[in-house]
Amino acid sequence: MKRVAVTGIGVVAPGGHDAESFFASLVAGRSAVRRLWEGDPGTAVLQAKEGGASIGAPAPFDARAHFPAPRRKLLDRVSQLAVVAARQALEDASLELDDDLRRTVGVFLGTALGGAASADEGYAAFYGGRADRIHPSTVLLAMSNAPAGWIAIEHGLAGPCLTYSTACSSSAVAIGEAWLRIRCGASTVALAGGAEAPLTPGTLKAWDALQALAGEDPEDLGASCKPFAGDRTGLVLGEGAAVLVLEEWEHAARRGARVHGELVGYGLSTDREHILRPTVEGQARAMALALASAGVSPRAVGYINAHGTGTRANDAVETAAIRRVLGAAAERVAVSSTKSMHGHLLGAAGAVELVATLLALRTGVIPPTINLRVPDPACDLDYVPLAARRGQDVELGMSSSFAFGGTNAVLVCRRAPRLA
Amino acid sequence: MTPTFEGLRDILVNEYELPPERLTPETRLEDVEIDSLAVMELVFSLEDRFHVTADERLEAGFATLGDIADYIDRLRAERDGGAGRRG
Repeated sequence: MKRVAVTGIGVVAPGGHDAESFFASLVAGRSAVRRLWEGDPGTAVLQAKEGGASIGAPAPFDARAHFPAPRRKLLDRVSQLAVVAARQALEDASLELDDDLRRTVGVFLGTALGGAASADEGYAAFYGGRADRIHPSTVLLAMSNAPAGWIAIEHGLAGPCLTYSTACSSSAVAIGEAWLRIRCGASTVALAGGAEAPLTPGTLKAWDALQALAGEDPEDLGASCKPFAGDRTGLVLGEGAAVLVLEEWEHAARRGARVHGELVGYGLSTDREHILRPTVEGQARAMALALASAGVSPRAVGYINAHGTGTRANDAVETAAIRRVLGAAAERVAVSSTKSMHGHLLGAAGAVELVATLLALRTGVIPPTINLRVPDPACDLDYVPLAARRGQDVELGMSSSFAFGGTNAVLVCRRAPRLA
Repeated sequence: MTPTFEGLRDILVNEYELPPERLTPETRLEDVEIDSLAVMELVFSLEDRFHVTADERLEAGFATLGDIADYIDRLRAERDGGAGRRG
């Protein structure tokens, strides 16, 4: 089996416009959750009329800085975010893409909603009687595999270009599947990650109706998402993208690449009982399989970047699942939900949180679970509450993504050893 | 400058944020980063504006902005029973 190095990281996510600023924001314990559409008369009217959710975690991202207008109009925000994250990742990897390599490099991307906002916009005008026709670009703006396709086109990558859509685990699956391909020798280099741009009034309305969204904290809007806390009320949606350059170990070593970490394990399971309800069995099985594929003992895990949505159901189930897999070692493991700060990026969550995990191992700083002040007896692990923990010597980290639809995906990574 | 070209320029300035001084009938599409997909969108918008129906949006093979305006003018002429057929 081949080993897989992470040699490039690109991130545009709530709190940061690149990997460094994103992680610094997490370490500082800053919430990126805010009121959306403030000052937008259209949506303000909508909110006033309908009430309900209008908070989220936007990414600090102005497409005008990255794309000329003609191209920008052909990319939904989800593709814009993905393309910019991929540019960063390739630049970070300092990878010379010659023709031979370009022909083989694949793109593996996860997204739950794809370009849903563009589809909404086109169809809303049509159904609402404001337009007789729908712009032809609606098709290519809205299709779920557009983000991956644009990345391949921009860099001339002719390997497999695949999009995974398993709701909240989409990008963990995308990264895991890319890892499998490199591990078995089918690929040498892959761009893998995820993107999501769900911050539209329609999407928030639907998620609100599902009673999945957090109520607004009356004193501090930024504290509305409270994973593992007794007073948690739900998740906050966020937008963004993260893309990693995954590289076969020897290939990375030969070119003297800087390695952020090693991807060592991937586990998948399915909750087969209910389309929305998580199970301890399903989550625990994904974690156990990921650790087994990495060939490591559950006791070796030093940090878990939890799925930790802040919903009543997930956080208690996830806590029980961690206990089931780690046993007595669960008392010692540091667990945090960075969603408390960047929100839930749905299809991009797994990728963004794997980045947080890799950087935690590399820097020895574990980002906190903020807003965790009120304990819940059903959530009784060390969640690194409120403040980051520095000077941590953690070698092995795990990042969990559990999805509506039942697809549970867990990734395991190791701190970068020196390249021999 | 024809009304059709003015309509095209209006869209390019207001929706594509291109500087008007760069937009002449001789302007080559690649010089203002208008690719085949953008042409498709432009022709679609011009159809609405000039009440014509285009038979070629994506693979029309235009080289300049003037080519696009000429194409729409031919469609207008055909619609109005004029002679011009696209050659």
